[in-house]
Amino acid sequence: MLAVMAFALIGCSDEDAVTVDLSKRENLVAPRQVEAITYAYLPQYSHTISYQRHRQLLEYLRKATGVPLRQIFPDTFDEHIKMVERGEIDISYSNPFVYTRLAEVGATAFAGIVEPSGHPDFQGQIICRADSPDLKTIEDCRGKRWIAVDPESAGGYLFPLGLFFDNNINVSDFETVDFAPGPGGKQEKVVLAVHAGAFDIGTIRKGTLDVVAGKINLDDIRVLAQTRLYPGWVYAARKGLDPEVVQAIAHAMFALNYRREPDREILSSAGMHGIIPVQDSDYDPVRELVGKLGLDQ
Amino acid sequence: MALLLLPMVGYMSANSLVEESKMRGSSLATSLAVRAVDPILARDFLRLKNMVDEQSRVEDIVYAFVQDKSGHVMAHTFQRRFPVDLLTANGLAEDGKLHIQLLEDGSRRMYDFAVPVQVSDGQLGVVRIGLSTARINRSVQHQITLMAGLFAGALIIATSIGTYFARRVTVRLGLLRAHAEEMLTGNLNIQSSPAGGVHCWERRNCELTECPAHGETRRRCWYIAGTMCPDCDNESNFQCRLQSCRVCSVYRQNAGDEIQDLAETFDVMAVSLKTHINELRSADRSLRDQQRLMRTILDMTPDRVSLMDATMRYQACNKGFADSVGVSIAEVVGKTDFDLFYEGEAEERHMAARDILQSGRRIDTQIQIKGEGSQRWFHVVCVPVLDADGRIDGLLRTDRDISDIKGYENQLIQAQKMESLGLLAGGVAHEINTPLGIILGYSQLLQEDVDAGGQMYDDLVIIEKQTKVCKKIVADLLGFSRQTDSAKREMCFNNSVLEAVSLVRHTFKLDKVNILTEMDDRYPIIYGDPEKLKQVWINLLTNARDAMGVDGGTILIRTKLDTPAGIVSVWVADCGVGISKDKLKNIFDPFYSTKAVGQGTGLGLSVSFGIIEDHDGEIVTMSPLPEGFGFPECDGACGPGTVFEINLPLDHQSRDGSTEA
Repeated sequence: MLAVMAFALIGCSDEDAVTVDLSKRENLVAPRQVEAITYAYLPQYSHTISYQRHRQLLEYLRKATGVPLRQIFPDTFDEHIKMVERGEIDISYSNPFVYTRLAEVGATAFAGIVEPSGHPDFQGQIICRADSPDLKTIEDCRGKRWIAVDPESAGGYLFPLGLFFDNNINVSDFETVDFAPGPGGKQEKVVLAVHAGAFDIGTIRKGTLDVVAGKINLDDIRVLAQTRLYPGWVYAARKGLDPEVVQAIAHAMFALNYRREPDREILSSAGMHGIIPVQDSDYDPVRELVGKLGLDQ
Repeated sequence: MALLLLPMVGYMSANSLVEESKMRGSSLATSLAVRAVDPILARDFLRLKNMVDEQSRVEDIVYAFVQDKSGHVMAHTFQRRFPVDLLTANGLAEDGKLHIQLLEDGSRRMYDFAVPVQVSDGQLGVVRIGLSTARINRSVQHQITLMAGLFAGALIIATSIGTYFARRVTVRLGLLRAHAEEMLTGNLNIQSSPAGGVHCWERRNCELTECPAHGETRRRCWYIAGTMCPDCDNESNFQCRLQSCRVCSVYRQNAGDEIQDLAETFDVMAVSLKTHINELRSADRSLRDQQRLMRTILDMTPDRVSLMDATMRYQACNKGFADSVGVSIAEVVGKTDFDLFYEGEAEERHMAARDILQSGRRIDTQIQIKGEGSQRWFHVVCVPVLDADGRIDGLLRTDRDISDIKGYENQLIQAQKMESLGLLAGGVAHEINTPLGIILGYSQLLQEDVDAGGQMYDDLVIIEKQTKVCKKIVADLLGFSRQTDSAKREMCFNNSVLEAVSLVRHTFKLDKVNILTEMDDRYPIIYGDPEKLKQVWINLLTNARDAMGVDGGTILIRTKLDTPAGIVSVWVADCGVGISKDKLKNIFDPFYSTKAVGQGTGLGLSVSFGIIEDHDGEIVTMSPLPEGFGFPECDGACGPGTVFEINLPLDHQSRDGSTEA
């Protein structure tokens, strides 16, 4: 009797239900995508971060140029390069090493960024755990387990690889050489892998430690060495893209001023200090490095 | 209580489960929304499909789907086509946050969770998840069943335990009630508190036998005032004393629960009640004794005592007062003077009472109350009665009958008057007697000198005769004043009487008066003056003859010797007109006479009274003749008659106290 009373009381719910007919079904067809200039960020971070970083910049460019821009998200560096080659990415934002590859398929650099440090160039870093007593110099890296960002990564692999080369250390001198797994977020994965002790050393782009500052205690990570400065990230237009469009976009980019409040927020969220005009020849030091390492074959 | 609580607790529990399920659904939807960001950005439909299919593998997830920013469904869990009603059945809340909507499709109910897919402040789309309520309901039912079982079990256990303890309590309370009923019937020798326990005098081996708690078994020591234990606080009130008991080992050992306290208090009350009742009974007995004593004293006094209140109504009286007004003592209470007395007397008493109540003055006076054929004298004392504040609250009146005293007083006055008169008369008679003797002598001498039959001789005879009358009068006066000397000697009482009878018998016969004699034949001898006694008998016989009318009558003389009493009596009775009651008391007064002027001097009986008194005797008059006197039939006048009874002592007590034979 008690249970019956309880059920009766519980049945007295004051929540109203909306009646739906689940049997009334239709085939859904995706609407056609609007024609737009595609914009892609080399997937060194996750899609979410890529979206967050460049959302305001794209919004600004749409308003400033009137050009319909749509950000797309390739999963890997190779896919990014191939999509540029196939004309699926109109505006590519990539590291200088990837740019040398894009240039080979016809893309043209038209803008470069000023790093948050205030300089238009950047460098790579060799990091290890702060409590690694046997890692004092670059020489100590010999025979160690190395994790890098990606074979296509400039700051995260090629620049440190050049540094090791200059110190007579080849890839075969390491116990293992691994690259960050999966799509996106590769710079952070390297830091976390070293932090976890899975690898003795890691190579990253300078500035990455600031990105992971909220995830780990940076005192646990020690920067063992830094590479020389190389030209920074670059905006390139695919081959055959309307030069007016490129011109309009480049003009709008160059108009951004870090000292103005709305522009400052746009540039800060994109991880830049400013955008400046560049030329293809500005990236010859990178091409030299590629040649030195024998990666151009 | 469980019946009331179960539905309420069940309702709350069900609500809690529903809220929990909503939180779970929200978590699932939010998680899916977070994970769907990358596939949406990359437009990776396969990953989205895998994600929503993962959701559908959760038991109670009915469906899951992801919409892009424009509302297009990018992936869903339905096998074939999509139920389009779902698109409009739920949406994000107005603030763009999670919204939960209860849906119903006829056969089942489900909660629809709509969660935004957000990156920073930008929205990429919406994730929707449908969570069936069937599992929630099953959980609720299971929990309710479990709770009902627990409640029922707890109820049974609680009821059993409660009944057990209630039984223990009610048995003890029932015992108390039974004892209370016994107390009402008068039995105060009951013990409600449990017997046993340790008493302070036992535990402490106390030798203070004068302590009121020593040897006490029916009351605990903390209920007894004035205990002599050095650890006890006997100065304060009961509560303060009890506070000092709480540290006492005797108290800690014997103190029980509230019911035991109640029972012990009950016993103390019974003991106190019994003591008080005994004291009351004793006081009642004493009071009754005192009342009876007071009533006896009041009732035995002949005075009429009455108590009146300030409104002049009687509050109490004694038997004398009640008898005087002719009602009972109880009936007197509440009445006024006008209810109890005749108007005149009532008015008088009322005015006196009012005067006392107003003035507060005491009344001490003598009043005369005239009744039917009688007059009574009373000595009245009337005093005000004061209350505790000194105000007059009533009055107490005492009426003492002093009629007898008044009579004695009058007699004393009369005696004094007679004594004075006797002395005067005696003196005068003595002085007159000598000239009368000379006048008589000379008148007799002159008679010898004149011729008999002449005028002179007749005049001298008249002088002689009147002079003798005067001498007789003077002699009576001297006798009244006892100026004459008595010559007492032993004499025969009967002869004295018979001599007087023989002297007058002939004369009386002329007046048709017959004298009968009934003499005691033992011839008593007395000590007396024969002449004076003979004068008394002739006086009484003459008075008896005078009481007869012209038709004459009979006089009876009877003598009687009473040897044990030492007296001899004579009765002189006639059948004449008798003497009225109001005259009886005056007949021995000098010069009092009922006879016509010239027929008597009024000194006869008073002289007789004096002679009898001189012989230490007494003379009593009764009229009419008492019944049973044995008076013979009377030929002439036949009135009520009168009898004089004279009692004389056989042994005469002389004046010097010696007894003479």
